[in-house]
Formats: sequence, C-alpha cells, structure tokens
Amino acid sequence: MDCGDIRQYIPQRTPIQMVDRLTDIKDDGAETSFIVREDTYFVDENGRLTEPGLIEHIAQSASALAGYKAVAAGAVHPPIGYIGEVKKFRCYRCPLVGDELHTTITMGAEVDGVTIITGETQVDGKVMAATQMKIFMAGK
Amino acid sequence: MLLENKYYKIIGIDKDADGQSAVFHVAILPDCDVYRGHFPGNPVCPGACNIELIKECAMLLTGSKLRISAIKQCRLTALATPALCRELDVTIQASPTYVGFLIVARIADAENTYVEYKGDMEPDEECLQ
Repeated sequence: MDCGDIRQYIPQRTPIQMVDRLTDIKDDGAETSFIVREDTYFVDENGRLTEPGLIEHIAQSASALAGYKAVAAGAVHPPIGYIGEVKKFRCYRCPLVGDELHTTITMGAEVDGVTIITGETQVDGKVMAATQMKIFMAGK
Repeated sequence: MLLENKYYKIIGIDKDADGQSAVFHVAILPDCDVYRGHFPGNPVCPGACNIELIKECAMLLTGSKLRISAIKQCRLTALATPALCRELDVTIQASPTYVGFLIVARIADAENTYVEYKGDMEPDEECLQ
C-alpha cells in the first residue's frame, strides 16, 4: 500500500522531513518507511542516525497517521503535532546511511488533543528503537 | 558535536566542584536551517533537537562520547521557539552507573521550563571501534 506523497500528511519539510512513505494504515495504527541519507538531520560524522533522529522519525510517523485521517476527513493541510512526552525509549542500535527504517505506530485514544502512541523502528527485521510518546495536536 | 554552533551556541558553563553537575548557558541560533522545515513560516524548536542538546551537554560534562540507551521520561512542558527562547539554561546532573551515567536534565529560562529529562547514557562503543 502506498498512500501517495507524504507531504500531504505531515507538516515537516526539508531538512527535517523524516518519513518517506506511509505504507500501511489501520484503525489504530500505521506503518511508515524512511531511507537514511547522508544529509538526513541527526546523522553524525560516522554516518549513523542518532537517537534523537529515531525519536523524530517515530513522532513524524505518528504525525503521518494523524495527517492521513485528517485529510480523509476533509482537511486541506495536515495538522501540526508536537512531542509532549517521550517515555520508555530504548535504543538498541543506530541505523546507518542507506538503511531503510520500517516503523510501526500504534495509537491510543485521543483526549483533549493528546494522543498516546507506541512506536517501534526496525531495519532488516532488527529492532533499532522503541518508545512511547504523548503527541499534542495544535488547535485542539 | 552534531548541533553545537548550528542549533545552539554555548555562552557559559557553571560546573559544580564535584564534576557531576553543571549548568550550560546556551544561545538558540534563530538562523539554524532546521526552521526551514520545522515548520515552514512557523519556526518551532524541535523536541528532538532539545534532546540532542541535552546529550551534547552531558558529553561535555562527563568528557565521554555517549549514546542514549534509554529515556525513562522526557517531558516537553512548554513550546519553545527561536523567537521566544533566545537564551536557555541546560542543567545536567550525571550520576555514574554500572554501565554509564544516569542523566537528569532540565532546559529552562527565567519564565518557563521547556524540558525535564531522565535517562541512561552509555559510552558510545560503536564510535570507539
């Protein structure tokens, strides 16, 4: 499944756009992909995507799902979401330039504009990082 | 350092005598390229950049190249923008553990606390290889 141009679903742009594709949508979750490039934000001098980069990628993956739902409901622009909390984050390994990240997002209920999500990022079937987050959606 | 002199610039450091805690006074650089994309026409400091800022200050305090192995809790309690947050204080406490450091940190100015952070950082062995 390819949902088309990711820019219709997330407000982030170059140089910090960190999702390439929304690859699957479910009622309470989504899957995304992203290829790490040399000029990707948070890539260090050793060609590794550092931990804050993984956090940003997971947050944007959740944002992509929220944006997909908003556009499906008639929104013209994707909503802007902010990370409110990062909890139970574990980083097992940092991906390298050229790696394709596959991220699974599960979304909980939204209360007063705050949604609790869980995210896990894999490369070639190996878990790179996992976390819980609270995402605040602007204007709610 | 990934974001030093790009996203922020250190303008002073107050280190405690025990060497385990310090306050880093930083200037947020409004011309950083990240604001072209976060968000176009509406610059907001990315939470992930502030986590990287904490990591880099922790590395300066401990004198070690570190990786974030775990974040127990990181609360981003107020929206930070380059217009509102010209200068910030990054308070870092690094307590040695068996494998690295427990880092407790806060990013604040006189008006607001923007980030409260607690997590484990370990020596970056991949980098040392």
